[in-house]
Order: sequence, then C-alpha cells, then structure tokens
Amino acid sequence: MHKSMMDIHTVTVLGANGSMGRNIAAIFASFGNAKVYLVSRNIEKSIEAKNKAYLSVRAESIKEKMIPSDYTHLEECVKISDVIFEACAEEWNVKADIHRKIADAIGDNGEGKVFCSGTSGLSITKLAELYPSNYRHQFMGIHMFNPPYQMTLCEMIPTIYTENDRSVFESMKKYANKILYRTVVETLDSPAFLGNRIGFYFINNALQMAERFKYSGGIDYIDSILGPFTGRSMPPLITSNFVGLDVHKAIIENLYNNINDYAHDDFALPQFMNVLIDEGKVGKKAGVGLYKTILHENGMKIHQVYDIAHGHYREQIQYAFPFAKDMISFLKVGDYAKAIYVLIENQSIEARLCCEFLLKYIIYSLAKAKELGCDPSAADDVMAAGFHWCPPLALLDAIGSVTDFEKLCEERLEEKIVFAMKNLSLLKEAPKSHYDYRRFMIAK
Amino acid sequence: MSKVYILGGAQTDFERNWTKEGKNVLALLKEVMSDALCQADVSFSDIEELNKSNRVACFVGNFIAENYINQGHLGALLTEVSPSLYGVPSARYEAACASGSAALDAAITKIKAKEYDLAIVVGWELMKTVDSKVCGDILAKAACYEKEGQGIPFPFPKLFGKLADETISRYRLDEQRYLNNLAQISVINYGNAKRNPLAQTRSWFMDYEQASHRGTETNISIGGKLAISDCSQVTDGAAVVLLASESLIEEFGIENVPYVKGYGHRTAPMLFEKKIHEQPESHYILPWTRQTILDAYNRSGLSVEDIDVFETHDCFTSSEYVAISAFGITEPGHEFEAIENGRIGFEGDKPMNPSGGLIGCGHPVGATGCRMFLDLYKQVRGKANEYQVIKDNEMPKNAIMLNIGGTATTNYVFIVGI
Repeated sequence: MHKSMMDIHTVTVLGANGSMGRNIAAIFASFGNAKVYLVSRNIEKSIEAKNKAYLSVRAESIKEKMIPSDYTHLEECVKISDVIFEACAEEWNVKADIHRKIADAIGDNGEGKVFCSGTSGLSITKLAELYPSNYRHQFMGIHMFNPPYQMTLCEMIPTIYTENDRSVFESMKKYANKILYRTVVETLDSPAFLGNRIGFYFINNALQMAERFKYSGGIDYIDSILGPFTGRSMPPLITSNFVGLDVHKAIIENLYNNINDYAHDDFALPQFMNVLIDEGKVGKKAGVGLYKTILHENGMKIHQVYDIAHGHYREQIQYAFPFAKDMISFLKVGDYAKAIYVLIENQSIEARLCCEFLLKYIIYSLAKAKELGCDPSAADDVMAAGFHWCPPLALLDAIGSVTDFEKLCEERLEEKIVFAMKNLSLLKEAPKSHYDYRRFMIAK
Repeated sequence: MSKVYILGGAQTDFERNWTKEGKNVLALLKEVMSDALCQADVSFSDIEELNKSNRVACFVGNFIAENYINQGHLGALLTEVSPSLYGVPSARYEAACASGSAALDAAITKIKAKEYDLAIVVGWELMKTVDSKVCGDILAKAACYEKEGQGIPFPFPKLFGKLADETISRYRLDEQRYLNNLAQISVINYGNAKRNPLAQTRSWFMDYEQASHRGTETNISIGGKLAISDCSQVTDGAAVVLLASESLIEEFGIENVPYVKGYGHRTAPMLFEKKIHEQPESHYILPWTRQTILDAYNRSGLSVEDIDVFETHDCFTSSEYVAISAFGITEPGHEFEAIENGRIGFEGDKPMNPSGGLIGCGHPVGATGCRMFLDLYKQVRGKANEYQVIKDNEMPKNAIMLNIGGTATTNYVFIVGI
C-alpha cells in the first residue's frame, strides 16, 4: 500500500444508471477496492447498473462491492462516503439540484470528504458555490472519458476555493493517479477543459471541411483524408457519429459561446449538423447520423454516408488518394520517416489538407495547454489517454525528425496561427514527447 | 573461454496488437532493432564495419512464424530490416517457447569461442494474426501434437492443469490452499506489470478475489483447475539483446558491463505423461528443470543465496509454483511458504518476475527468452526504472532466468551478473 495515501473506503456515485456513472463506479470498486453506492432515480436502474458495471473492468470480483440505492437514501450514502461523485445528465438544473441535495445532506459531517462532478462542460466554480463555504475547497471537477477502463484520462479541475487549501484536491489527485491508475491532468476551470477543447476543435474543423468540400464527397472524403494513418484509431467524423451529434453540438456551442481565441470560428457548427440533429439523426445511438449501416435482404451490410451536397444518404466511396496509399504502405513496413515525408512532399489538395490539419492540431494543443495552466506534456496526456490519438508532441517529434517544423508551419498555416505559435514560444518550450508516435500511426 | 558481455537491448511494447495497427513483421523488426541499437549505443555503421572482418552475427529466436504469418527463413529475413545487415551471418533457432533462449545459447557459444565479437539476438512472435482457438492449435505443436494436441481445444492450459493436479497429489497439498497460492502468483505478476511501462497487462484490473474465484463469467475455467487468471495471454512482440566479446568491450572502452555467468540447458521427455512417470526418483516434479538450474548454478559458482532477482516462465501459475523449489528458494513441497510469506513478491528477498513475467508482461513465445534476458540485464545494470529491484540501497548483483519450451520439455537457464 502507498504510504500517506488518502483512505477511500466508500464512494457514492450519483447518476449510476448512465454508462459513464456505472463505469466510473466500476473503476472505484476495482482499482480503488472501495465500496460503492450506486444511486439512480430508482433502485431498479441501480440494480441494472450493478449487473452491468463489472463487465467494464472484466471482473466479477467487484460485484459484491456495489450497493444499489436511490435518492431516498442519499443522505445516508453521503454520510458514510469518502467521495461523492455526481455523474448525472449534463444539464445545469439537474446537476445543481443534486449538488444542493448533497450539500443539505452533509450537514456538519463533510470534513475531509471529496465532492465532485464529472461534468464535461459546466462551470466547476459555480457548482462549488452550491456548497457551504467551509466545504468549497473540497469540491472539484473529475472529468473521465468513456469507457474509463480503456480511456485512462482523468482531468481534474480545482476552483478558486481550492487555492487557499489544496490538501483535499492534492490527495485526490494522488489517489486518482496511484490507486485508480488514471492519467491525471490538472486544468483550469474553462469550457470543455483541455481534452475536449483540443479534440472537438479538430473534429468540428473536420465537419466544417466536410461542408466546404461537399462537392468532393463531404463526410467520407474528409474521413479518408484524416484516417487512422494520421494517428488515430478511427477517423474524426466516425468518432463524432459515435459520440453523438447532439453531444457534439452541446460541447461545440458551449465553446463557441464562451471562448475567444484565434480558433473561435472553428467552433461554429456547420448547418448540415443542425439539419441532422433536428431530424433525430444523432449518430450511432440513433442508428443513423453522419453514417448509417443498412442490412440488405441478403444479409450484406451496406455502409452509407450522409451526402451533404444532396441531402440524402449514399453508399460510401472507397477513396484511394495516392498520398494516403503511399503513407499506409510505408507505415505497414515501419518506415515512419518515409510516411511523414510523403505527407509533406505530396502537393495534392488532400495531402495538403491533411498536413494542415495535423499542424493546426499540434499548435492549438500546445497553445491551449499553456492557456489552461498545464505544461505542454499535458496536451499529450489528454490526447493519448482521452482520445487514443497520436499526441501532439509525439506528432511534432515525428514531423520534426524529417523537416523543419516551424518553417513548414510558416508555409502552410494561416498567419494568425503562425503568430500564436511564435508569440507564445510554443515550439521553443516544447519538450520531447513521453509517448512513442509509432504505435499511434496506424497502417490503415 | 572468454566472458560474454551484454551491451543492452530493447523490447517492443507488449500491449500493442500489430495486426490491428496494420503492420507486418518488418515494422516490428525495424522498430525493435533500431531501439536496441540505440539503447546499446551501437550503430548500423558499426555493424557494417565489424562485418567487413566477419566479427558480427545475428541469431533469431522464433517459434512458428510459418503458421502465424506464413513466413519462414527468418534469419535471412533480417536483411529486410537494413542493408547494413547484408552479408551478416544470420540464422533462426527454434525450441518452442524457449526459442529466444536457443538463439541466445548459440550467440553466447559463438562469442565464447571467439568466432564473433558482436552478436545481435532477436526474439519475436506475432500471434494476434489468428483467433484464440487457432492460436491454441498452433501452440499445441510445442507439445507432442498427435498425442497431446490434435483435436483438443486449448491443449496447453489443460497440460499445465495436469501439472497442477500432479503438484497437489505429489506433495499432498490442500487443494484450496494450493489454488489460492496460484491466485496469489497471478496477482503478484499482474501487480508487478503495473510498474512496467512495456507490459501487456499494465492497465488491466486483477485482484485476489477475481483470481481466486474460478469458473465465473469473467474468469472462465480453461484447463482442469486453471482459469483465465492463471494463464499468460496471447501477445505480439519482439526483444533484442546485443552481446559482445571481451575484446569488443575493450575497443568500445566501456566498463561495468554485465556478463553471462552461467547457463543450463536440458531436454526432458516431450510427452507430459512420460515427464511425470518416466522420471528418475526425485523430490522435484520437474527434475530436468531442476537439473538445468543446478547446472547453471554450478557453472557460475553461485547458489540461490547469491541470486537477487528471478525471472521465471509463468506461462501458467502452476509452472511458476514448481519453479520456486526448482530455483532452490524452498524445498520441494514447500513452495507455498515463499508465496504466503511474501518472499517472491516485489519487496521480498527473492523477487520473482519484477517485470510482470509472462502473465503480466506478456508472452510473445519466440521473444520471451530474449525479453527475460534483457530484464536480467536491466536489473543488474540498474536500468529497470519503476520496476527496478533495490535491496538495502544496492542494485542486484546476480539475476537468473528460467525459460521453458513445451511442458518444461526444453529447459534453458541463464545467470547474468555484474
């Protein structure tokens, strides 16, 4: 056991019926060896959660550590818990209501307890203010990614109330890292925090490009340009379809309305997304979104994509861009430098667009890490552990090993981005990555 | 005979699935080779220079790439890694899961005999190209296929399940206590893997509750009394070790270099039944394995008291259990003591598999011997970082490994020290 480690024996997870709540409960019960109260609107949902949760960590041994409960027992749960983790629906009113209830339930027994929200977008500071002032330093954001067993990122967000007394926050950080085996990144309380800020910048930009290039094919055209060979397990718009177009919209609008950086316009939602969302075509969970799979009578699966230009679904096109083909064949045999060289040397529209995307991703990641009070390697942690994308510094290592990265940015990127890169000394301060880019560059 | 020194090496990240990454064996070999050369501070041009006077050779350990990736002639395949290897003598060595050790053995012998000054030993296996059932059938070829493998799903867990049965009956152990001991072995290996940034299972969850409850939905029984938590998993990976002669060490002007202190190599009857029933009178369940370890102790002039780190072949928990007495850590029949009192734990006096072993770190079969050997080097050289064993503020002086092929048919032991 780790000495001086926070003792966490009992945890309450609110909103345990949701997949995120359930999976977080499993992380505490497994790695944390904690007793976890699963709280949902009704006990049946909590029982269902208990019966599913162990599967996410592939261990029945945690089953008996999970106790289904409901809101009528909130007070008891809160009293005996060391950590109270709220993972409810991403709406201010819902969350505020629950945190008020928790605050009521604590009474004078809140000393040393951790209060947290798993929100991906709401203000942690405002949530903290729902607690009595003597407990506010014990409140924090703990933002995990789904599924947390595979995605180890854990963004931890302190507030102004943590400034005077960081003890609980620091202990929880250490616990999350050493006991729960999370990749912990501390960020400022800012819209979407760090991981989603970077990830959704990239994804939304890809959606915008799909609209701009709608006559070249749109969605599948862009996904073929930014495929796994560019350092991600799946293309960005397939990711978006997986996340859900409604969730995407909520995250993007929050960013668009609340940030003001050089990438502000990159967070504008393309019009076709609204069309799809209004029609309920919100992605994989609805069976239809940017993509859809239909089953032919003969049992064959037909993969279709939304054609932005014509407003209907059509069969996906198997694009074979020479630059992508060349990169993939070099990656297949482990010639990474040659693959990167193709990316830089090939002057086709698609290769240039791909290269521009990757350069923008690196610069924006480093700029945001700096803005949110993190060191540059935090940008790597969020993208590797939260998205399974080739982290920005690792990609910088890869590109920087074959060419002058700064010069390439000057040639390829808009002036405002180059200005930010130089003005913030992003490259000068960039350390070598702790991650190996090779495993992220998939030969597909 | 001159000493054989270890310059260093590298292993790939055993968490990776190269098929999923769309990468082939050349990608695997190029990566591990360039990483190993970098770690050992040797360049491709050094190799070219040494090759001019025929002073360098390659030794490849691989079990069965013919089945997994349709590729044979694996010594020659290395020429595809770099033109610097054109003309460098290279051949493949095979002894099932001890193939890496067979390659090491050949390399060590050649350097000892002063035939070469630099040996590059490459162990590798790509196993995730097929599904688990097909994989089980391919691995069955490490047993006597016709009698022990053909038509049997997952024959190896069953054979090592028999070893568990034999251990219980020979030593008249309480079955539940023995199975709990095996669960502890599993938990130690999974726990150690968490410190190893290249281990296959480093992000997996395993606890004693999970490992000791067998036959459940998430811990299915797979071979007699053994369940999934008792098994090493299918792994892709490669490990490279660079060995050097005394004269090359002098040329390079490097000091404090670990060297090979002893080895053992014995072959037991191939059929498991014969191993058990046609063995000489012995307190040891695997007498040939024990003899291999004794041979290595004798050749090195060391005994178990001198060994600070152990890497053993825990393809299954039942094989680690019998290895405890085979190493001499306890008397045969008393292995449970070393498990229950923490002696083989990371903080124990006889730490076993600080790397996580085959269960925790992974078991790309042809690579395992080289991976173990590399870990011995890292431990005595103080380069194991988070999983570095340190006792009384001192780095380990001697480390031993046991690598077996089949059901402990081929037995290889190496002792590395400084």
